[in-house]
Amino acid sequence: MTTLAPSSNGSRTILRRILDSAWLYRLLAFAIFGAVWQIATLGSKNLLVPTFLETAIAFPQLLLDPVVWRAMLISNQALVVGFAAAIALGIPIGLLMGRYRAAERFTNVYINIMLVMPVAALIPLMLMSVGIGLASRVIIVVLFSITMVIVNSRTGVRQVDPALIEMARCFGATERDIWRRVLLPGALPAIMTGVRIGLGRAITGMVIVELLLVSVGLGNLVNRFSANFQPERLYALIIIIVLEALVLISLARWIERRAAPWVRIAGFRE
Amino acid sequence: MIEIHGVNKAFPARKGIEPVQALVDVDLTVDDNEFVTILGPSGCGKTTLLRAVAGLVPIDAGEIHVDGKLVTGPGPERAMVFQNFALLPWSNVMTNVAFGLQLRGVSKRDREQKAMELIELVGLVGFEHRLPGELSGGMQQRVGLARALAVEPKVLLMDEPFGALDEQTRRLLQEELIRIWEATRTTVVFITHSMEEAVLLGDRVVLMRPRPGRIEEIIDVPLSRPRATHLDSVEQSGEFVSITARLWERLRGLQTDVRHSRSAHPEPGSMTT
Repeated sequence: MTTLAPSSNGSRTILRRILDSAWLYRLLAFAIFGAVWQIATLGSKNLLVPTFLETAIAFPQLLLDPVVWRAMLISNQALVVGFAAAIALGIPIGLLMGRYRAAERFTNVYINIMLVMPVAALIPLMLMSVGIGLASRVIIVVLFSITMVIVNSRTGVRQVDPALIEMARCFGATERDIWRRVLLPGALPAIMTGVRIGLGRAITGMVIVELLLVSVGLGNLVNRFSANFQPERLYALIIIIVLEALVLISLARWIERRAAPWVRIAGFRE
Repeated sequence: MIEIHGVNKAFPARKGIEPVQALVDVDLTVDDNEFVTILGPSGCGKTTLLRAVAGLVPIDAGEIHVDGKLVTGPGPERAMVFQNFALLPWSNVMTNVAFGLQLRGVSKRDREQKAMELIELVGLVGFEHRLPGELSGGMQQRVGLARALAVEPKVLLMDEPFGALDEQTRRLLQEELIRIWEATRTTVVFITHSMEEAVLLGDRVVLMRPRPGRIEEIIDVPLSRPRATHLDSVEQSGEFVSITARLWERLRGLQTDVRHSRSAHPEPGSMTT
């Protein structure tokens, strides 16, 4: 009768757990990224490209700076209002387009245009008509994000199994019942995807409009750091913005999972 | 219970495809408490006919009456069981079974109670809170059956309900279906591809032929009832064998006709399940 020595069994499972942990790979990816960055910038005395270490030092400095937090507050105002508007308008439009051919025919042209248009090019136009201020920043955030929300909501409705709609009709469902019991739950995963993608684009819009013309908030800081040749602070700021985006998107994913627990993601090779 | 008179249905032409006469001059009467099976090759219009009775498909000519009332759309006295189950993937078994009742505004307590009765009847106790994705095909179809029975329909319309299941599950569910039916005696119209299934389950077999879709022959099945307790010996009885042999001869003839006819593609609209 053989028994396994308990210590070797125990360390194997700990090692296994470390190897399976997602955080290990994230840390590894980050470490490799940092190393490559540092090596690439080591020799150069470029005023505009900071080394990884310089950026890493500037990062916590910025996190504690109240100026940065004030800038984030200003910028995020436009994000919150603009994104809320994009969702409130975009989801119903997308749903209607998915279900009713008349709505689709009417709006399809505009959607196709918005999908390919570089929204940043509209910013000067916006400022000429609406002026500098929260309104124009909000409008730009909406323009950046609403298209993805609409398109994904439309797809969500379209891909609901028609057999389910027919089944519901068989059991006496009215159009309202079909929406409540079949179309909305069926479209929910795609709607959430649209929200998540739209959120990323909204954040992009938030920063770009501040960069290009309305110099407040984070965009203003970006310009300042560039102008004052403080590239390590600039890069650290960008990292902060990216982190905010990651946090928000993780939140969106979490909501997505809670809202649609029946969705299975297939396809990983084990 | 069901009166079908002079029903005609054509699917309009699309580019590259001629208009298809799905049903031509179909007459059929189904009595109360009768179990009628409809059998025929692809394209014979059997699914179209069933969906017309269900009120999902408008007909071009003729009339369909169920329980004395003209069919103009779906109605509470008719319930359907689908080949691919059509369960809501985001709702659990209990909610799926109670679906028809919920649409009618039945209170939560009443509909859950009724749903539980049906769940017991189809043998799914313990699975009430599972999602369809966690169930096998046979179990999902039991849910479909329970859902249809929950609304206490006068007519049960079944569109090849066991077609998506493996042989063993199919045989088990056939037994269950007969057992349940012999207790409730709802009027049933059951579509199938399988001659054995048609004779095993039905009181009459309606044989249909395609191009254009129409009723070829209606065959009585004089096998005695109840059959649920001894389906295996029914299958081996001489009468069963002779009726199925006769059906196969007729069906084979129809298949050959189909191969020799000019437009050899399936009718549009019949493969939507």
